[in-house]
Amino acid sequence: MAALSLRHTFLPTDTFGSDERRLVEEFVDEQIRPLATELDETERFPRELYTELAKIGMFGVTVPTDLGGTGATPLDYLFLMEGLSYGYSSVADQCGLVEMVGSLLAAFGTAEQHERYLRPLLAYERPCAYALTEAESGSDLGSISTRAVRDGDDWLLSGEKIYIHNAPVADFALVLAVTDPEKGKRGGISVFVVDLEQAGVTRAYHEHKMGQRASQVGGLVFDRVRLPSDALLGEEGKAFGYMMEVLAKGRLGIAGLALGISRAALAAAVQQAADRTQFGAPIGANQAISFPLATAVTELRAATALAADAAHALGSGADDAAVLCSMAKLTASEGAVRHADVAVQTFGGSGFIRGYEVERLYRDARITRIYEGTSEMQRLIISRALLPRTR
Amino acid sequence: MRILALVKQVADTYSERKLSDSDHTLDREGAEAVIDEINERAVEQALLLKEANDGSEVVVVSMGPDRATDAIRKALSMGADSAVHLSDEAIHGSCAVQTAKALTKLIGTVDGWDMVIAGNSASDGQIGAVPAMIAELLGVPSLTHANELSVEGTTVKAKRETDEGVTHLTAELPVVVSIGEKSNEPRYPSFKGIMAAKKKPVQTLDLAGAGIDASEVGLANALTTVVSASPKPPKQAGEKVTDEGDGGAKIAEFLVGQKLI
Repeated sequence: MAALSLRHTFLPTDTFGSDERRLVEEFVDEQIRPLATELDETERFPRELYTELAKIGMFGVTVPTDLGGTGATPLDYLFLMEGLSYGYSSVADQCGLVEMVGSLLAAFGTAEQHERYLRPLLAYERPCAYALTEAESGSDLGSISTRAVRDGDDWLLSGEKIYIHNAPVADFALVLAVTDPEKGKRGGISVFVVDLEQAGVTRAYHEHKMGQRASQVGGLVFDRVRLPSDALLGEEGKAFGYMMEVLAKGRLGIAGLALGISRAALAAAVQQAADRTQFGAPIGANQAISFPLATAVTELRAATALAADAAHALGSGADDAAVLCSMAKLTASEGAVRHADVAVQTFGGSGFIRGYEVERLYRDARITRIYEGTSEMQRLIISRALLPRTR
Repeated sequence: MRILALVKQVADTYSERKLSDSDHTLDREGAEAVIDEINERAVEQALLLKEANDGSEVVVVSMGPDRATDAIRKALSMGADSAVHLSDEAIHGSCAVQTAKALTKLIGTVDGWDMVIAGNSASDGQIGAVPAMIAELLGVPSLTHANELSVEGTTVKAKRETDEGVTHLTAELPVVVSIGEKSNEPRYPSFKGIMAAKKKPVQTLDLAGAGIDASEVGLANALTTVVSASPKPPKQAGEKVTDEGDGGAKIAEFLVGQKLI
């Protein structure tokens, strides 16, 4: 019987061939994995590492090549997210953030916005943030209160965003704001490209998180920030549709990130089960240890297949792509939390000690059930697709 | 400037490497084949010079079995422009002198080159003489074990660092340079570089194509042969120091005995 290894991902790729796959693995092994413990401990923002990712072309992999991207498919993006996260999930999350903002700028930006923001972002000369969430607006995107009001040709932006990834370090942000309160989320919300180094913008605070601690998260406060008319991304009032357009890709990315955490946790656990001896035998000789691992790896393999399925659907523009991406995100993220738990249990006391990879993975996994749409929101989306007439 | 980078595919130093039982040549099936790390540095050095000198190009020169194309492609994806590859079953088992002669002929198929950059020693044979032999056969200066390299006009300057000190070498183009471990950190290829490499020209030549007579290469004609080989003896059990309050002193004594401190 062939040995089952977690050394390589189970994911297939589209435009990425064996050379690209080897490159991602080598880069992760040599440049990311050795840094993860230090980054987690110090909450450091590894800008120099992100510059390296940009040089390889890992930022904006699905953005067309003529706009500075790599021109790959959602399946390739899924593979990249899984691989980076196998190294360290904060690095994958940075890649996911750039992919989302890059996709929005590529799809809806003007030629000038492409030059001024998209290309420098993909080269990581200008880090970005994606400012949606507010204190009273999480899953309920339509309830945001940040306002942009016309002032001659300009806009005046006021409001407060919280839990914004990259807020402490970003150079510019895509900011969601109400432009017409009468119209609500369909027609009343717009996206602005906002330079953060300007009067009226305050980086409010820097959060300290349970996991993915190298990801910089904080608040952004806008106090009558003057924006020129060309700060608007796409058309006025179309933001909700734009967000929906990239949401599925975002969820697919987090599915990949969660799969990477699972694989890293289970690879470490399998190694421990083989190496650690108690009562004169490797602990993996006990079914109490080996069966949970067998179950977890089977779940991981299934979640991987589902995510690949969702990526294919998204790449081909299939009708059910968004629901499949929700299913993939739900399955992979719930799996990551369970599998990190199995890994900690396999390690016993060591799994509870700082400096052990599985201890970090246990903390890093937890947010995957929350961000980019909670598990509950994913179930809501899936159930609505399942029972459309009961709404 | 046209710069030639010599590239060799070797067994990955991280995998188990062994010699074949039949002719004591490298068992290529047993280990993962990769571009030799020192050659990645040679390619990087060539690319740095290319970037510093407008209008330059980098040509990869390699000799080895068909699957050496993987190593060549890696060099092309890093940014080299084209490659020539000598692939012929008859070169199997060639010694260092034959290799240098064959590579010299292969280099001769490239028009108007200015510099050949090689690694100072391959991680498999570890002979470390081929670059100097090539320079001798080509009749050009040989700047070996360089850790820093620069070109101004037609003058090449290299810095060689050893335990004894730093040697500054200067020569006029064309030259053969071999570079050391500390010369640079090779870049990763980019996704675009990998895609572009697939379209870059690789000229594959057999012995006749490179103007080499079959009697000049191969195990049967080699000047040196491996007569016998035996596996590395298993690791000896280490010396155990029991700490009876004087553990530190005992370890220090041991290290002094080994001339480590």
